[in-house]
Amino acid sequence: MSTVDRREFLTRVGWGVATTTVALGGTRKAQAATPSKYPDWIQASAKPPKRGGTSPRATAWDPPVIDPRLTQSIGLFQFVGLTSSRLVRYAFPEEATGTTDFTIKGDLAESWQPSPDHRMWTFKLRQGVKWHNVPPLNGRELVAADVKYCFEAYAKEGVQSFTFREIEGMETPDKYTLRVHLHTPNVLFPQNVAESVTVIFSREVLEEDGDLKKRLIGTGPYILKEHTRKVRVVLQRNPDYYDKGRPYVDQHVILSAPDYATRLAAFRTGQSDIHYVSSPSDVEVVRKTNPDALVQEYKNVLAPFGLALAQDKPPFNDLRVRRAISMAIDRQKQVDTVYEGHGMLGWGVPYVYYQDAPPTADQLGPWWRYRPAEAKKLLAEAGHPNGFATTLFYYEYWPQMTSQVQLVQQDLKKNLNIDVKITKLDYTTYYGRYVDGKWDGMSWGFQSGHAVGLDERTYQYMHSKSTKNFFRVNDAVIDELTAKLRQTPDVAAQRAITKKIVDREFDQVLRMWMPYDGGFFLYQPHLRNVAALALRRADGYGSPTLARLWLDK
Amino acid sequence: MYKYVVRRFLLAVPVLLLSSLIVFSLMRVMPGDALIALMGESGNVGERELQKLRRDLGLDRPYYAQYGIWLWQMVSLDPGYSIFTNEPIAVALKKSIPVTLELATLALILGLVIAIPVGVLSATRQDTAPDYMGRIIAMSGLSLPDFWLGTLVITFAAIWFRWIPPLGYASLWEAPLTNLQQFLLPAAVLGFRLSAATMRMTRSTVLEVLREDYVRTAWAKGLGGRIVVYKHALKNALIPVVTIVGGQLGTLLAGTVIVETIFALPGMGRLTVEAILFRDYPVVQTNVMLVAATLVTLNLVVDLTYAWLDPRIRY
Repeated sequence: MSTVDRREFLTRVGWGVATTTVALGGTRKAQAATPSKYPDWIQASAKPPKRGGTSPRATAWDPPVIDPRLTQSIGLFQFVGLTSSRLVRYAFPEEATGTTDFTIKGDLAESWQPSPDHRMWTFKLRQGVKWHNVPPLNGRELVAADVKYCFEAYAKEGVQSFTFREIEGMETPDKYTLRVHLHTPNVLFPQNVAESVTVIFSREVLEEDGDLKKRLIGTGPYILKEHTRKVRVVLQRNPDYYDKGRPYVDQHVILSAPDYATRLAAFRTGQSDIHYVSSPSDVEVVRKTNPDALVQEYKNVLAPFGLALAQDKPPFNDLRVRRAISMAIDRQKQVDTVYEGHGMLGWGVPYVYYQDAPPTADQLGPWWRYRPAEAKKLLAEAGHPNGFATTLFYYEYWPQMTSQVQLVQQDLKKNLNIDVKITKLDYTTYYGRYVDGKWDGMSWGFQSGHAVGLDERTYQYMHSKSTKNFFRVNDAVIDELTAKLRQTPDVAAQRAITKKIVDREFDQVLRMWMPYDGGFFLYQPHLRNVAALALRRADGYGSPTLARLWLDK
Repeated sequence: MYKYVVRRFLLAVPVLLLSSLIVFSLMRVMPGDALIALMGESGNVGERELQKLRRDLGLDRPYYAQYGIWLWQMVSLDPGYSIFTNEPIAVALKKSIPVTLELATLALILGLVIAIPVGVLSATRQDTAPDYMGRIIAMSGLSLPDFWLGTLVITFAAIWFRWIPPLGYASLWEAPLTNLQQFLLPAAVLGFRLSAATMRMTRSTVLEVLREDYVRTAWAKGLGGRIVVYKHALKNALIPVVTIVGGQLGTLLAGTVIVETIFALPGMGRLTVEAILFRDYPVVQTNVMLVAATLVTLNLVVDLTYAWLDPRIRY
């Protein structure tokens, strides 16, 4: 009788686990670093677009409600950008020069002009834009008063009130002109109304229903034909869309599939046109069954997650403590191990707003470098030679996040003798506690995912008076610079101020960003004019970019 | 019998009351609330607005008042609205119950269709190849968790056959073929697990019964093998099997949570999990009560089945 000793048993179990992991789609990471060989940009097709077809995609997200005043859930905005228009928008893939092209184009507005002091913005609306031809709108023309009503409703209640309360008043001198008066000058205001969440909804539905939870009627390229929670969203081509001849695809079907393996299987079998994976090895696993899939490396221009400290309380209100902690964390190790060598070290403001290339390790400054000896010395100077105990709570957005949190815990213990007690929470508990902003110790913090604009990424996320300042930044210099940025029309000067904001953030360690990776998009080979843009993922808040998609089959 | 049924229903009242108290308390002990979840990473809602929303939804009332209102809603069969989606809970249940019911019924049928014949075969061919095979299948069913099996099934179906059940639930009445495609694999996964314990129990009880005197008598009378096994032995062997199946129904309902998620079916399992994650108190409470009431009723049905299987049993 053959016997299996302990070593052989472990070896066999190891092979079994490895085989299963590969079979399940390689959701875990390979140990070896795999450099990406895929392009980060997919050029628009040179061929003339074809009309017709259905584009399905499997999604993990379900919208809680379809009222854009009440939620900024990605579940809703993965399709609202296709049913509803905004005043202005960011460039679509076929118009953009690359992923970081943040050119603002007209959507409902044909042109927009500021007053000399930038306290008033005048938007000239496109004529002949029609609401979807469904009751109670029945295809009536959109006029400036509709936009005014909508912005007032946003300001009155809901999750976007902070953005729209910036508006002091609005006037509509004629059917196609909207004048927006702001409380304070803001040269970046058009960016704020280009955000994917600022869609224009219909006055009639809100007045008839009292909310927008049942009907979503817009002026966008697609009409919401069906929304069955946890099943599907069906969008049908709007034949009266103002951009004649577009959109090209007849129907988008968004299928609810909360499980990753199911979404992967759906892509493999053609039931989903778009699939996102987080690592190079995951790409290879999918390409074994779908070798023709188009792959786009998604290069992030910022890191959405970082170590948030209760910096208004001891010991984190001491700059030396924050700097020591930052220097004690080996970010490169996280990139090498967690992200297979394919990741960024971490910064919070999109670099494209202040320089042309992603920041190098040197540009992130001395406090971002891994220098454990200096860190220990600095912590001792701050009065903590023997470290201290603290807490860290987080929500595991994806499995690798837990590895990152544990690496930070190890680094802080090893280098500074800081004992970090980690608490992993469910999403609702984590989110509630985090945004409440009254927690002690540390949190694995985030900045909201939908924002593209500079104003949102600076003033709204860092100003001490902002309700979106989750990292609890309270720095007079930052307040002054972010406010000044809003009053600086010259782009070169804006970049210079933004750089100062970033430098100040790094120097004062106000938000301790952690490594992150953008991952990869896989598209079915017949998709054309599809590409994820920086801060605008085609499957999420960047869904409006799918308005120009066509199917080459 | 009638008195027995009434007595059992009366006994169910304290059980359901206790369940209601436990689920209500647990939901309130959990940190976070539905309003926070609803905001979806926006974070820019003032405390005053949140207070107003809580007031509108009655979440600012004392717990005993909230409990009392909810109990009254349950008794009057009007469970109210979901905090998270604002949909009437009755409507949400009307959509999700048929899905879970169909899945559970199919799984039960598949489970029994596998378990009883294989169990009998194992017993009648004890210590032969079919018996070993049956026992291996049973042990696999007991050992492999639903989430693992479900994930494996959907992954390998995609890799080997380039096919998975069509996503996007289709109703049995509107698109029966699509519906069957959607339900067969998940029901097989659930049924496989259910069949395992039933198969083991069938084997052991049939083995036991086959050694009884009356079975020996039946053989001695020259009755055919099928009649002896299926008419005389199996019926008497089924009482413990029914007990096991009854007990497994709770596991079956719990299993639907995972399987519905993997196979993207919009049943009660997914509804409940989502409601728990988003602290949708009314939905969670109503669903738990519904499941509790179902299990109480099923247990009663199981008890009544004993009497049908064994006429000596009287209530």
